[in-house]
Amino acid sequence: MRLIVSFAQGFVSILKGMAITFLNLVGRRKITLQYPYQRPNVSPRWRGIFYLPYNDEAGRINCVGCTLCAQACPTGVITMTKMGAGKHASVNAFTMDLGRCMFCNLCIEACPFDAIHMSTRFELASVDRGVSLLTIDKLAQGGADAVERTKRTIEAALEQEAAAKAAAAAAKAQAAAGAQAAEGADA
Amino acid sequence: MTAMQPAVGASTSSDMTINLGPQHPSTHGVLRLMVALDGEYVKSCRPVVGYLHRGLERMMAARPYRQSVPFTDRLDYCASLNSNLAISQAIERIGGMAVPERAQYLRVMLCEMNRIASHLIFFGTYAADIGATTAFLYAFRERERLLDLLEAYTGARLTCNWIRPGGVASDMPEGYAQAVCAFLDGFLKELDAYDTLLTGNPIFRVRTEGVGIISPEKAIAYGASGPVLRGSGVNIDLRRTEPYDAYPRTQFDVPLRTEGDCLARYLVRVEEMRQSARIIRQCLREMPEGEHWGKQPKVFRPAAGEAYSRTESPRGELSIYLVSDGTANPVRVRVRGPSFVHLSMLPELVRGVKVADMIAILGSLDTVLGEVDR
Repeated sequence: MRLIVSFAQGFVSILKGMAITFLNLVGRRKITLQYPYQRPNVSPRWRGIFYLPYNDEAGRINCVGCTLCAQACPTGVITMTKMGAGKHASVNAFTMDLGRCMFCNLCIEACPFDAIHMSTRFELASVDRGVSLLTIDKLAQGGADAVERTKRTIEAALEQEAAAKAAAAAAKAQAAAGAQAAEGADA
Repeated sequence: MTAMQPAVGASTSSDMTINLGPQHPSTHGVLRLMVALDGEYVKSCRPVVGYLHRGLERMMAARPYRQSVPFTDRLDYCASLNSNLAISQAIERIGGMAVPERAQYLRVMLCEMNRIASHLIFFGTYAADIGATTAFLYAFRERERLLDLLEAYTGARLTCNWIRPGGVASDMPEGYAQAVCAFLDGFLKELDAYDTLLTGNPIFRVRTEGVGIISPEKAIAYGASGPVLRGSGVNIDLRRTEPYDAYPRTQFDVPLRTEGDCLARYLVRVEEMRQSARIIRQCLREMPEGEHWGKQPKVFRPAAGEAYSRTESPRGELSIYLVSDGTANPVRVRVRGPSFVHLSMLPELVRGVKVADMIAILGSLDTVLGEVDR
């Protein structure tokens, strides 16, 4: 008798389970993506490959080479060399070793100049280790061209600053000389 | 009938020593079990751990406090946000940081979402361990929707790293509350269906009922926590007994079973998913407006001392102990993970059971090797 009851219970439960699997078979949209042919739409907050945004108005990338991101990085992904000085500073080398990167977002939060972003690109796999070493030419938005333009902008600004400084110094010297001449005339 | 060949190194002709893992799907990671078998019965079992050891405690101690958070993602990778919460809380305690109220609700919401995701992994893989593939696929389908939600908030699916000392890294994106509610509506219906599919199945019940019984005394003696402890009838949930963040202001039931077998642990986890959904809804409803991040000191050098934070992760008590000597880096970071404790119970639990039951028992402990090996 117990055997019959348990058999009946088992049969009913199998029918129940079959009903659920059947409903899932007919009553559902497919949720799988045929990956290489279809790509998922990742969220705009996705933490993918990095880029250094290019500022069209200023004609340069935003980075000023302050190394705050490198200091915030737990794994030492970022290295950079500074270029220029004072207000007109940027980087001429900015390298990220993605082989060490955890994509933790800490560098982005550390940046006060909004100079480093993460894109929605998520296909990071490669067969070559060297690919994971991102130089500034690969990181800058606009590539090597953007880096070159940044360099030119910074150099021009520095030259301008130097010229302004020289002009100010010359004017000062002239004024001093003028004052001296006036003094001489008085005597 | 051919006589069974005695294995090399076996003590008697009927004994056999086999290595289950480290590459075996039912060990849920790189765990190796050295099992001495007498026919189909387990005579002894020795878990060999450490294949995933990365020295995370030392790595965290070698870095400034706030940089240790992303490393906790790699502890319990099925529930990274819960690990983030544990270390964040420890750092807040040692540095005396306050967390804004909105951030507390956001944290609880994120943690409970991750708890559901983690329990769905348990649900699916446990069913697969027992031999029910369909439930595995269904559970991962639901989890996928949940991971999409986590991705929309944090930008990462698994290693979220979004709960930080002093708050949460960002506020919710636009329309997030509606998206979460829509998910929960669908999810609870699905969960009921999966429940019918698996919980009511007589084969599943026979495989789990009365298997791997842990008495309350034994559970306490080993230091078990979480669903393993509550499946044995000990009503301790740190969200209740030592509430943190927004938990004191949320209402939820702590599921409790007294049987102490695999089925009890399974049922506790399934019910916990429903309670988590309840908590998430309350958080979304009662969340006040305000900051998601409290005031942060620019240079973080806590005074010499120590701090201990206890949190209830999906697997049990995840605690972090920090020692500071007044410099920017901690002297010692110690992680007390639930999985390691639960794994230590395995040799005693599996003595004398069949090999298939050993898999069922190991699955019901729901260990994550990332956190066992650290």
